[in-house]
Amino acid sequence: MRRSIAAGGLFAAGSLMPVSSTLADQAGGESASQTERRVPATTTGGKVVQPRRDVPVLHKTSVLVVGGGPAGTAAAFSAKRLGVDVTLVERYGYLGGLATGGLVLGIFPLYNRENKQVIFGIGEEFMKKLDVLKYGIIDRNKPPVYPTIDAEAFKYTLASMVLESGITAYLDCWGVDAIVDSRGAVRGAIFESKSGRQAILADIVIDASGDGDIYAAAGAAFEKVKTNIGLISRIGNIDEVDMAPGRGSEDPTKPSIGRPDEGGRPSKGRVNDFSGHAGNSTPAPHVNWLNMRGPVGDALDVSDLTEFELKHRIGTWGNVEKLRQKAGNEQVYLTETAPQLGVRLSRLLDGVKKLKVDEIHGGAKFKDVIGYSGAYANAPAFQIPYGSLVPAKVENVLAAGRCISAEFEVADITRLIPVCWVTGQAAGLAAALCIQNKCKPRNVNVAKLQDLLHQQGAYLG
Amino acid sequence: MTFFQRVPRRAIQLACFVGAVVLVWPLLPWAIAPRFFQQISPFVSLASSIAARSIGLGAIFALIVAVASSFKKRWFCLYLCPTGFLLENTNHIGLRRTRWWSKLPPVGRYVAILTLVGALFGYPVLMWMDPLCIFSSPFAMNRATNPVSVILVSLGLGVLVGATFVFGMAWCVRICPLSGFQDMLFAMRKALWTKLTSRAPSSADSAGKLGGELVKISGVSQRPALARRAFFAGAGGALLALGARRLGAARYRKSDTLLRPPGAVPEDRFAGLCIRCNNCVHACPSKIIRPDLGHEGGLAGFGAPIIRYDRNYKYCLETCDACTQVCPTGALTALPLAQKNKYVIGEALVDNNICLTALGKKECDACEIACPYDAVKITWDEAQYISYPVVNDKCVGCGACEVVCPTNPVKSIRVWTQKPA
Repeated sequence: MRRSIAAGGLFAAGSLMPVSSTLADQAGGESASQTERRVPATTTGGKVVQPRRDVPVLHKTSVLVVGGGPAGTAAAFSAKRLGVDVTLVERYGYLGGLATGGLVLGIFPLYNRENKQVIFGIGEEFMKKLDVLKYGIIDRNKPPVYPTIDAEAFKYTLASMVLESGITAYLDCWGVDAIVDSRGAVRGAIFESKSGRQAILADIVIDASGDGDIYAAAGAAFEKVKTNIGLISRIGNIDEVDMAPGRGSEDPTKPSIGRPDEGGRPSKGRVNDFSGHAGNSTPAPHVNWLNMRGPVGDALDVSDLTEFELKHRIGTWGNVEKLRQKAGNEQVYLTETAPQLGVRLSRLLDGVKKLKVDEIHGGAKFKDVIGYSGAYANAPAFQIPYGSLVPAKVENVLAAGRCISAEFEVADITRLIPVCWVTGQAAGLAAALCIQNKCKPRNVNVAKLQDLLHQQGAYLG
Repeated sequence: MTFFQRVPRRAIQLACFVGAVVLVWPLLPWAIAPRFFQQISPFVSLASSIAARSIGLGAIFALIVAVASSFKKRWFCLYLCPTGFLLENTNHIGLRRTRWWSKLPPVGRYVAILTLVGALFGYPVLMWMDPLCIFSSPFAMNRATNPVSVILVSLGLGVLVGATFVFGMAWCVRICPLSGFQDMLFAMRKALWTKLTSRAPSSADSAGKLGGELVKISGVSQRPALARRAFFAGAGGALLALGARRLGAARYRKSDTLLRPPGAVPEDRFAGLCIRCNNCVHACPSKIIRPDLGHEGGLAGFGAPIIRYDRNYKYCLETCDACTQVCPTGALTALPLAQKNKYVIGEALVDNNICLTALGKKECDACEIACPYDAVKITWDEAQYISYPVVNDKCVGCGACEVVCPTNPVKSIRVWTQKPA
């Protein structure tokens, strides 16, 4: 079988086709193919052609979690606790995804309109571990102010937990394709790493890649959306101008910092001179994190991503220079830009249940509820159904995190860190149940799943 | 007056009082009912029709009242006026220590003349002294959002009841412009009657004497002093009207925060046409229409409605046109919903030095989500390398963005008085 790769695309048409189902049979005898001389791609008739090759199997597991971000780590830990064999694969060199590498340090939305916390479970465990670390987390249990975590503290926490848990983890390992059997059911995934192209075989795959890379490769239907892509940064030495939120803060209990032109009529097209200071405080003293909404782009287009990676770092540097020009800010410096772009949404699964915007505003109740999202902007706290994690057609794969099945406006909330913890934990437990009961994800006993979620401390209303 | 003559009057008064409450509350399912209450007053109807250069449906009631009052002196006061009924009863239990006010000239008719002449110049100066407006005003109390509003809406009736308790019926007898207006109607009808029945033979010189005759039949010519007063009242009305219009317009140009309810006539005439009946305050389900303490509209605008958007209340809903439907004088033009939704209350402006999104503080797009008119878009500014809300010309200043904006204490997006481009 020949595989042709169209120029420019991260995901070529060819790669959407399932790898030969005989792969599983061949796998055992070819694990030492690392040392074999590889046949490179060639150009034939104006096309770049990669010759057929057998993919060595790196590992066999029960539950394979692709993506080590908030959803992936939550899924892996909760599944592992049921005693099933779990493998976690992460493309970057650290765990935590956007919560650490993306510097999305604000943990929102956690609370409902009545300022009651509605997200617990594994997320609450993470935060409790951060509680005991110095400079690990601030503003815990102070609704409506959301907690802010420290990226390094969270990386440390997740790394320790992975080592303690007995999960098999592969970092710097990029999931690029699904392995699908002759009936179209997912059997594992293909990865690229410094070790080359390798396969991991699994009974259930949890796609916590954020972009839905694996379910898309397996042929599941999805909706592709484009939205803003920014790059978050941290700035240091800023406490002298602003460590007291209030002005420009949504916390009504904190005092405000006055400005000479307070309450004055702003002129149209006024340029931001950062006199309202910049960013939010973080657990690290004298350090603020600075969000960037960014322009709209295609998170599945490598040229868009490249452009943003370059321009955003230039723009951030420029804004810090501007910030430094304000009196009192002379010593401000750019601590870091996030290693990862702030991709918000790319693929949205067409699941058994697509969570609709009318439902979340109408306070819809679901029989298969697996958790809550907190209230955010104009949306109240709402229930998330298990059906949003299950693809409409493809078997043996579950979505978790920002790429679950929801309408754009809903996904714009379910993509946020603590909600990813919620969907991740549910997906992990559901996958473990599939292994234990030898069933398909769509046939999981929901009552049992909810029972397990309760046991692990999750909030289901 | 015998006992039997008195009882029916009391009964009619009581019935009218109850009727007034039913109309104004409004206890009817008919939302625009309050508007017809003040329009029953021929003084308000005539003055506002002159000022607005148009006649409303309510003028029919006013005409009936006017005709009846011209045949029976102060017929309206004696039978219909709910304020009169209230004050009569207050007087009954009151102190009635002094009648010094009986020496006062009949101020009411000069107030009426002043206002009607002002109305000719588009600004019925003292129309707000009409007793029906004063009566209905406190009913807006259930929409009051602060103690100041409570005091403002109940001030007029409170002062009248208090003064009547202490001094007796001074207001009704001497000051009320509606009773003064009725006196004029009665005197004019009588003079006209006499004139017609005694039939002057010559008509040749009548044209030359028309002015004099008019003054005569207006009922103020019995004594030259009265005619002089009437003239001064009229001249005063004209001057006040012109002055107030100039000041109003100037104030609007200068103000940043003067926001009137939808359908409001231009600011130079608004404070004159508005009779402070507070029907609009009462009608607003969002509680954003408040009587003005004079901060925004100045002394002339005292008590007139302004719009304020607060964290705790809603905005000018795109599903509601209630305030425009209940205005008896046309200070707020009655607009159908579609047109009300196009009326520009003000313009939303963004201070991107407070905006959470512009300062990289929060992932906030509350204003964009809240805007019912698709007028706010969080926009990426490549030059500044930040995002902030940009307001397009679909904005009508409904305040949806301002009420949801989470910045504290100053909102980053606020509705300001619209300035000409």
